[in-house]
This record gives sequence, structure tokens and C-alpha cells, in this order.
Amino acid sequence: MNNFAEIILVQRYNKVSYYSVLINEDISLFRKFFNKHSIENKEKFYHIMAWIEKIGDKVGAYETYFRNEANNGDARALPPVGVDNKPTYIEINQLTNEEQNSSNDLRLYCMRANESVVFLFNGDIKTAETAQECYNVKTHFELANKLTKLIDQAIIQKEIKWNSNFTDIIVEDDFILEWD
Amino acid sequence: MKTEGNMITDWLNQNRNPEIDSFIEKNLAITEKVRVAMEQKGWKSQDLAKAMDKNPSEVSKWLTGMHNLTLKSIIKMETALGIDLIHTEPIKEYEYVYLGLFNNKSDLLLKANDYEQTSEVQQYDIAM
Repeated sequence: MNNFAEIILVQRYNKVSYYSVLINEDISLFRKFFNKHSIENKEKFYHIMAWIEKIGDKVGAYETYFRNEANNGDARALPPVGVDNKPTYIEINQLTNEEQNSSNDLRLYCMRANESVVFLFNGDIKTAETAQECYNVKTHFELANKLTKLIDQAIIQKEIKWNSNFTDIIVEDDFILEWD
Repeated sequence: MKTEGNMITDWLNQNRNPEIDSFIEKNLAITEKVRVAMEQKGWKSQDLAKAMDKNPSEVSKWLTGMHNLTLKSIIKMETALGIDLIHTEPIKEYEYVYLGLFNNKSDLLLKANDYEQTSEVQQYDIAM
């Protein structure tokens, strides 16, 4: 096994607990996304963070709020499905100075375990029709799918356990995900 | 387990954008009403699409909670589900006004004048 990942709690809201992973003792995948896009794509990033907060606080992580971009895993992406999903993000057209609807092309890959638990990974600006064709997001997408499969297996094998009412997960401090 | 603290909320609080917050809040309120109404009817998005004679993929976009819904699409969903998604105050064509009749009008005027004078005196006392 060449790689290992540790599960880390990102933030717990009333209805959803968000987790991420630390790979090979680096900073968490979500922290990498956060550090980069809170500066480079601040408004698009804000839109996704505000959604995470609202879903987490008021509603719950229902399937409909996540874009399904699964490959062989069960990875999801924020913002939700829809190529013409206007306006996941609203911006001012600099040429006409008119408000226009524009799809949010910033992707944050995640795994929705259920309505109460979501794993947030990394992502970037998607520039191609599919994640596999996009140089920016391809590696994030593939890693998200890999991690999603590993977490799914760990849940099935009860290495990651559910609490009694399935509203959160229980993970031992020394638990790690391993892969080649 | 290690934790990142409250990194999302902390960052949002430092960078609040009321316009986006309001868009998200209201959009979520509408899509949640639709989601709950569909759940109560045992409908999937395909059922709602069929009831509105719309393409299922288009309706899925509406239900993501991030779509900029038009008034037309909101009304289509209201009609199909039989619910109100947006409450608006009805336009008042006329308003009932109660017209009473005071007897002993002069007596009431005296009391009112007396009250004002008393108030002025009290204010002056307090100011002193």
C-alpha cells in the first residue's frame, strides 16, 4: 500500500456533518480546495460555500442538491446537475454591464453518504464537457471516485460505523484508508 | 478525530454577500417546498415533469435549488402540485372603514385639550 488517508471533520451543522480526508499526512483535500479557490475564484467559491452552509444548517443533503458525476464510484459534485444550470452563479457581464446567468463551472467533488453525512474532496474549474476530458478536474474527479469507493467499502465492512439514528459516522482515531 | 474547526462558517462570516445569501435562501425555500410536496405525493421528478408536460431533465434542473426559476415555471409547479410556492399580498380594491358616531362631542374635545395641556406641563416638569 503506497497511499493512506485519514478522515477529518470539516464542520458539523444542524443537519449535515461534513468530512474530508488527509492524504499521506498532507493538509486535507478540502483545505486545498479552500486555500486555492477562496482567493482565485472567490465569488464562485462563495456560492458553493453558502450552499453547503444552508443545506447543512436548514435542509439536509438530499440527493437532488448534488450533481451526479459518478464514474465507477459514487462521487458527486457541487453545484448540482444541469449544463444550463443557470444561475448556480450570477455574474455581471463586463462587456454589456448587464446581469447575466452563468453556470458555475467551479466543481467541488464530494461523496454524499446519506442526508446527514457528506465527504468534501477537492476540485477546480471545469473546462470540458466531461470531467474525464478536463485537464483541470480530471485528477480531482478520479481521486474522488477512488476515495468514494474506499469509504463505501469501509462503511460496508463497518470500519466506519453509523451512529444509532444514521445521522453521523463513528470513526476510530487510528483508522486509515489505504490504496496502491 | 482531527477537525478543521468552523472553517466554512468563519470564512463566510468574513466575506458575507447579502445578495447571494438572499438568492440561496429564497431559492432553497421554494425547492424545499416542491421537494416536500413531491415526497407527500410519492412523486419522483419524472412524475412532476409528466404532470407539467415537460422534459424530465429540464425539471431536474429546476429542482436542484440553484436554478434561476422563472415565475412561469414556479406557477407550473404550483398548478401541478396544487400548492402555493410564493405568497403575495392581494391587491386591495377597496377597504372597509368603520365610521362611528360620538355623542357628547364637546365633552370629548374638552378632555383631549385637557390631556394635551397636562402632558405639556408634565414634560416641562421632567425637563426641569
